[in-house]
Amino acid sequence: MLKNPSHPKKGNLREKECKFTKAGVIYIDYKDIDTLLRFTNDQGKILPRRVTGTSARYQRQLATAVKRARHLALVPFAAENMR
Amino acid sequence: MKKNFYELTFVINSVLEEEAIKSSVEKYTAYLKDNGADVEEVDEWGTQRFAYEIDGKGSGYYVNVYFTAPGELIAKLERVFQIDDDIMRYLTIKYDNKMLKNRELKQKGKAPSIFDIREEAEEDEEEVKTD
Repeated sequence: MLKNPSHPKKGNLREKECKFTKAGVIYIDYKDIDTLLRFTNDQGKILPRRVTGTSARYQRQLATAVKRARHLALVPFAAENMR
Repeated sequence: MKKNFYELTFVINSVLEEEAIKSSVEKYTAYLKDNGADVEEVDEWGTQRFAYEIDGKGSGYYVNVYFTAPGELIAKLERVFQIDDDIMRYLTIKYDNKMLKNRELKQKGKAPSIFDIREEAEEDEEEVKTD
């Protein structure tokens, strides 16, 4: 993005951390709805890695978990009454 | 025969009478046992609201079963579920080592959660929300 290390914007870039790595989560469970909802937006879409800072490994796990939960109607596919 | 550990979640039509639901749960646990599965735990979540409507219904009765069984059973089981009209959804998952470890920790109440790090990282949490 910014190749010049002395670029003024460089210092403002936030270091993103993966919450799952930090907490030492072993497996993301599809039954754990609170966790899943944190990583989806109001429409029920899975938030991208670039927004949440989740590491690739956990993002994959998360995506599977959300999809499983959707199948069981624990988490919405798409939010109702959206404008 | 090699046996695996499975987790099964299924949703029963909650419009049925309570007794019918109970007998249905019993029927399937019995079915598992009869077909060479060791049922470890049956967790009934009870009636829960769906996140979206299924067949015009707003809620269903969730049952969560943990069992050890030979792999051949799963196909048979899913076929039975497919035929049963009162089963609205089902999901069988084979456990790997990591998942087993997680389950062990969870039973001890020590499973790590992203909510545990909240106090240390209050700022970070908020940042995610605003997105």
